[in-house]
Amino acid sequence: MDRGLDSDIETIRALVRRSANELIRVPGAAVPGVLAPTIFFLGLTAVFGSLTLLPGFTTDSYASFMIPVSMLQGAGFTGAAMGVNLARDIELGLFDRFLASPAPRWVLLTGLVISAAIRSIIPSTAVFVIALAVGAHFPGPLGLLIAYVCVMGTATIAACWSAIIALKFKTQSASPLMQTVMLAAVLCTTAYAPQELLTGWLATVAEYNPFTQVVDATRQGFVGGVSWDGTWPAIVVILALTALLGAFALRGMRRTAY
Amino acid sequence: MRTFAVVVELGRRSVRQTFRRPQLMAPLLIIPTLLLAVQSAGAGRAVDLPGFPPVESFFDFLLAGAMVQAALLAGNSGGIAMAIDIEMGFTDRLLAAPIPRFAIVAGRLAGTAAVGAVIAVWFLAIGVVFGATIEEGVLGALVMIVLVMLAALAFGTLGAALALRTGSASVVQGTFPLVFVILFLSTAFFPDDLLLEPAQTIAQVNPLSFVVTAVRDPVISEWSMGELAAGLAATLLIGAVGLWLCSAALKRRLRMG
Amino acid sequence: MPAIEVSNLQRAFSAEVLAVAGIDLEVAEGEIYAFLGPNGAGKTTTVRMLTTLLRPTGGTARVAGFDVVDEPAAVRSAIGVALQEAALDPLMTGRELIRMQATLHGIARDEGRRRADDLLRRVGLTEAGDRRVGTYSGGMKRRLDLASSLVHEPRVLFLDEPTTGLDPVSRKSIWEEVEALNREGTTVFLTTQYLEEADQLADRVGIIAKGRIVAEDTPTALKTQVGKPRMEIVLAKGERSDCVDVLGGFGELLPPKDGKLMLEVAEGAAAIAPVVRALDEAGIVVESLDVVEPTLDDVFVDKTGQHLEGAEPGEPDTGEEAAAG
Ligand SMILES: Nc1ncnc2c1ncn2[C@@H]1O[C@H](COP(=O)(O)OP(=O)(O)OP(=O)(O)O)[C@@H](O)[C@H]1O
Ligand SMILES: [Mg+2]
Repeated sequence: MDRGLDSDIETIRALVRRSANELIRVPGAAVPGVLAPTIFFLGLTAVFGSLTLLPGFTTDSYASFMIPVSMLQGAGFTGAAMGVNLARDIELGLFDRFLASPAPRWVLLTGLVISAAIRSIIPSTAVFVIALAVGAHFPGPLGLLIAYVCVMGTATIAACWSAIIALKFKTQSASPLMQTVMLAAVLCTTAYAPQELLTGWLATVAEYNPFTQVVDATRQGFVGGVSWDGTWPAIVVILALTALLGAFALRGMRRTAY
Repeated sequence: MRTFAVVVELGRRSVRQTFRRPQLMAPLLIIPTLLLAVQSAGAGRAVDLPGFPPVESFFDFLLAGAMVQAALLAGNSGGIAMAIDIEMGFTDRLLAAPIPRFAIVAGRLAGTAAVGAVIAVWFLAIGVVFGATIEEGVLGALVMIVLVMLAALAFGTLGAALALRTGSASVVQGTFPLVFVILFLSTAFFPDDLLLEPAQTIAQVNPLSFVVTAVRDPVISEWSMGELAAGLAATLLIGAVGLWLCSAALKRRLRMG
Repeated sequence: MPAIEVSNLQRAFSAEVLAVAGIDLEVAEGEIYAFLGPNGAGKTTTVRMLTTLLRPTGGTARVAGFDVVDEPAAVRSAIGVALQEAALDPLMTGRELIRMQATLHGIARDEGRRRADDLLRRVGLTEAGDRRVGTYSGGMKRRLDLASSLVHEPRVLFLDEPTTGLDPVSRKSIWEEVEALNREGTTVFLTTQYLEEADQLADRVGIIAKGRIVAEDTPTALKTQVGKPRMEIVLAKGERSDCVDVLGGFGELLPPKDGKLMLEVAEGAAAIAPVVRALDEAGIVVESLDVVEPTLDDVFVDKTGQHLEGAEPGEPDTGEEAAAG
């Protein structure tokens, strides 16, 4: 086959363009993805805002503390939504068109993942702007850059995870599994309070949950200064989970149509 | 009594529907359970805040909030199921059948109330397993079950009204985030004194706060007839509004054909 | 080298469901081969295995010279596929869909654009090409699906029930397209539930039932296998014994059915004139006379004891329904 990298890249672009159709051509399609993290952000900030009064809390602005979580939550939902779309495509037989083509399977997965990463910018930016409006600190350019890297990385991980589920169950009914697991992954961290203030089981789980690294890295600029030490663990987590889950997703694709 | 039999049958169908569709049932229990777990441990030190009411633990405080949250979601998912019925023409078949109109809504609500009971039992079980102490004991637990059932029923009337009015499952589904707006603006997760403004002011008048407070009362303190009565009144109020909206939507639906 | 070479191909979905129970077939380059069978026969399962969408649980298959399990990528490059549901993204336009398909096959952008134009013209969708697929009729979707499967000029084309659910006009247009493609050298493997489709289009027909090929040959040969054409004669004044002598010379007389005399006539309709003349000369008055050609349904009934969809219900030999009608 004379397929070169050029045609692989061209194929990925075509897949990303197709996924963008949904946002561009279906009126209001982007709204739910923006609404959920926004409501959670505003709600959690209003409800748990007094936690900053606890001795040992690392910031006096709960909005600044919570915004990274909401941005990542938006990214997780976006990635999960890509998995739901994949399940729908499989249900309808649309995915067979891709599987029966000579496009390499990693190209198909990459198209999905890049779509998720790009789309995750929409909810996270929306909730970021709202956060600034209600008084969250500006994280500085570097802090913001790190936050967006983490957002897109989380969307990538979520897309891989959701693709695994979609390829395994081949039905949209499995969507709660995609979304809930991502929500849990992001929340079972230092989402609500710094590690020292967590209680019970969560104190342990958050310590070992790799997403804690991602949450903390995203949060750096919002609650203080950024540092390389606070950043690299998140990058390692993102790369490792993407590689691991991506490999499983590829395996699922090969099992569906080897 | 024929009508009663119809309601029972429709109610049974709606329960079956909910339990057989994991995508309807799962969010109902899993999301509130997840939030309960994460928030009770993530914000567990909240009980140390000055002004927090005396409780054994934040988990005890949140238990009622999780129940009411699940009951709200049950009302929403009952509405989705009803809208699906309308979309598929099942409701039209019922409307054409010689049964009283209200039986259609009542059947759906009976199902939602049953789901409410399951919710209450589920969270009571979780509460017991994870060390909540229900101050008022078994009687308190029973009262909680009844209150949560009634709450599910009341929220169910709102979901049903929306379904009857719009006839669209995706519209009803779209109100899912609204459930959280109402929750965050109530005392479901935190005592009102410690909420930030404007949530604090809204929570103080939000009927949902009264419902949650009534369900919470048997867990964290001795009976307070005032809180119980206020909770029941708020539930009745929500249910009455919902029923009124249902009957208006049903009339409109029949008029429009 | 045959275009498709299948040996003892099997697919089990569970211990009980053996959807394809070991089939052998060979399709020559340039042939149109039709898989004819009722719902659930295993047609789609076979096509999915041959198009690398489903892993066989037994046997081997080579398509365009490549093994479907060991060299799936090579198979995918060589084949075009239009699956049963014509699953198309409703949000894309017809043109976008064909161009995306071109990209999936590694065709450069300009070339893809050119081929999209050509193909849309070819299937009569030039006008509709820039409309969203969601607004297309069933026939238009089928034609678009067919066009998109041709974008890389495949050597072997798989069509799973390409005309199911279409009206006669749309069906005709698909048939013409398939015939044209075949003239240009494309090998076509299609499945169908319609006798007429197999009869009209296919060079060879494989009849599949319960996951097995029960008969396979050219349509004509299959039909002659189950019997020669037969003449059904109704006499004006009931049966006369002397007619047996008269008719016996033309072919074998079969047992009469519903008061009709049954005469097997090898030459078919050509026998009408001599038979009528002979009866006339013997003074026997004929009320009606028909020549019935065997159909693929007869073949199907002969091989499986069941009818295909669209054929008349009931066993022809029991005669009960036929008498009523
Ligand atoms: N994924 C699957 N899991 C289990 N059984 C299956 C699966 N796919 C097909 N089958 C079964 O295999 C058998 C053959 O199905 P197949 O779809 O190949 O039939 P078909 O000839 O294409 O029928 P139709 O004309 O209805 O399209 C059927 O009994 C079907 O129920
Ligand atoms: Mg089929």
